[in-house]
Amino acid sequence: MDARDKRGHDGGGPCAARPGAASTYVAFRAFAMSSADVTISAERPAVPAEREQAQVQRDPLERFGWLFLGLVLPLLLALLLEAAVQLGLSNGRLVPPPSVIFQTFVDLARAGELQRHVLVTTGRVSAGFAIGVIAGTLAGAITGYSALIRRMLDPTLQALRAIPSIAWVPLFVLWFGIFESSKITLIAVGVFFPVYLGVMGAILSVDRKLVEVGRVFRLSAAAMVWRILLPAVLPSYVIALRSGLGLGWMFVVAAELLGASEGLGYLLIDGQQLGKPAEIVAAIVAFAIIGKLSDWIIVITTAPFLRWEDAFAAKR
Amino acid sequence: MLALDHVGKTYPNGVRALHDVSLEVEPGEIAVIIGGSGCGKSTLLRLVCGLDQPTQGAVVLDDATITEPQEKIGIVFQEPRLLPWLSIADNVGFGLAHRRAAERNQRVATALDRVGLSDKARMWPRELSGGQSQRAAIARALITRPEVMLLDEPFSALDAFTRIDLQDHLLNLWADAKPTLVVVTHDVDEAIVLADRVIVMSPRPGRVFAEVETDLPRPRDRQSAAFDFAKRRVMAALDRSLDRAITTDDRETRATAGAALWW
Repeated sequence: MDARDKRGHDGGGPCAARPGAASTYVAFRAFAMSSADVTISAERPAVPAEREQAQVQRDPLERFGWLFLGLVLPLLLALLLEAAVQLGLSNGRLVPPPSVIFQTFVDLARAGELQRHVLVTTGRVSAGFAIGVIAGTLAGAITGYSALIRRMLDPTLQALRAIPSIAWVPLFVLWFGIFESSKITLIAVGVFFPVYLGVMGAILSVDRKLVEVGRVFRLSAAAMVWRILLPAVLPSYVIALRSGLGLGWMFVVAAELLGASEGLGYLLIDGQQLGKPAEIVAAIVAFAIIGKLSDWIIVITTAPFLRWEDAFAAKR
Repeated sequence: MLALDHVGKTYPNGVRALHDVSLEVEPGEIAVIIGGSGCGKSTLLRLVCGLDQPTQGAVVLDDATITEPQEKIGIVFQEPRLLPWLSIADNVGFGLAHRRAAERNQRVATALDRVGLSDKARMWPRELSGGQSQRAAIARALITRPEVMLLDEPFSALDAFTRIDLQDHLLNLWADAKPTLVVVTHDVDEAIVLADRVIVMSPRPGRVFAEVETDLPRPRDRQSAAFDFAKRRVMAALDRSLDRAITTDDRETRATAGAALWW
């Protein structure tokens, strides 16, 4: 309790009436409050300074420390592979060493090919991801909130989810042709299901106590979803987004493998048909890098909205 | 005026939580409900708040039957139930979302100042102690200026010192606008400090057993003889409420029931 509370108590405290008999109690309370005041006043200047210090310590050192730790394993593997080829332990044709892959990258970039394929693939994934996320979030929110709609819609959606991604390709090609729409639709379908499942499951697990707070404040259905359910599920939603994105990258490969003239998936087929394993591995490495970057973008952009979390991972 | 008119609540699984509870609380009165476990005190509060509906009888506030949460009725739960993704200031202002920002900010600032949390306005709920969180919850309920404030064992999760502080604090806040308070507690001291009237309930099924007027002047002196006397009257009523339960329903609680088991 701070000083303001004490002033508020003066008129209403129980100790005011009988100084004699209540003196022990008064003394005890005075002691308890004064030590509480001491603790609080000692605490208050310390907390902002502590936070500042922790921030300063965290920024330069820890952040880059984690980044470098993440790079140790891939760099190690790359070095081992390079060494194996240089020493003649492997002929480096079917499993190209990093030097050859790097050279392939440079060649592709110089010809402008790398940029073209990367842009096309990334564009497809972005469009499919956007559509899949919007549809998945809406469907998940509605089925999460309304038991009736859930019972009617969920069994069908679960059945659709069980269909392997590749099985959709012939149908979409027939429906939408061999150009962009069929590919983007396929990616959207892939992204939809993890997001839908994540949002619905998370809404169903929201703490009833928080929902009751919403009921007590007479929130409309839309307000309940927007102000309580969706913020409550935000941590799980981010995880659902990330897994949706991962599937998006997977589905773009499926789409591009089965009929494309551009894109990183096309490079895979091109490398296979022309007998250029370096091109295949280069495309795979490009997928890995861009996929990781896109996932990192999600984490970075959503981190400020998750600072409130009181979870195991809260201290990074 | 808040009136409960022969209210009963039977759950779908057959459990009769409340039986024929009739009660009237005058405007500005502080009524405290106390009783043995299973006497339906929390159920009663939820019915008054509108979170559940009675299966018999009705809850009436100012000639309107309560079946849903109302703007005129605020509630503070045993846990603070602050929304973890909002700052303390945003939590306290949660019920004022339909007001203009300037008015809302001003009222939030006043409310935070009143409960002594002005310096915590921008913090997250996870950074507050139990007592601070509960004070924020009380501010959140009071900021909408309800006619009736319900408190369901609001301080039972806190340590004894914080409890005493918050009881005084609550009375202070109550003195501002004097809403009708209905408090559920299992702490007899707390009941006597807060109440104009103590309603003792008996369990199985939950019903009103006795009403004890405290007849004490405010501010309450926890050390006075009159306080002790009121406390003894309430504890005697609690004892009798459990004895009653033994002769009518339950054999198993017969042996050692008494003041020690009233909670």
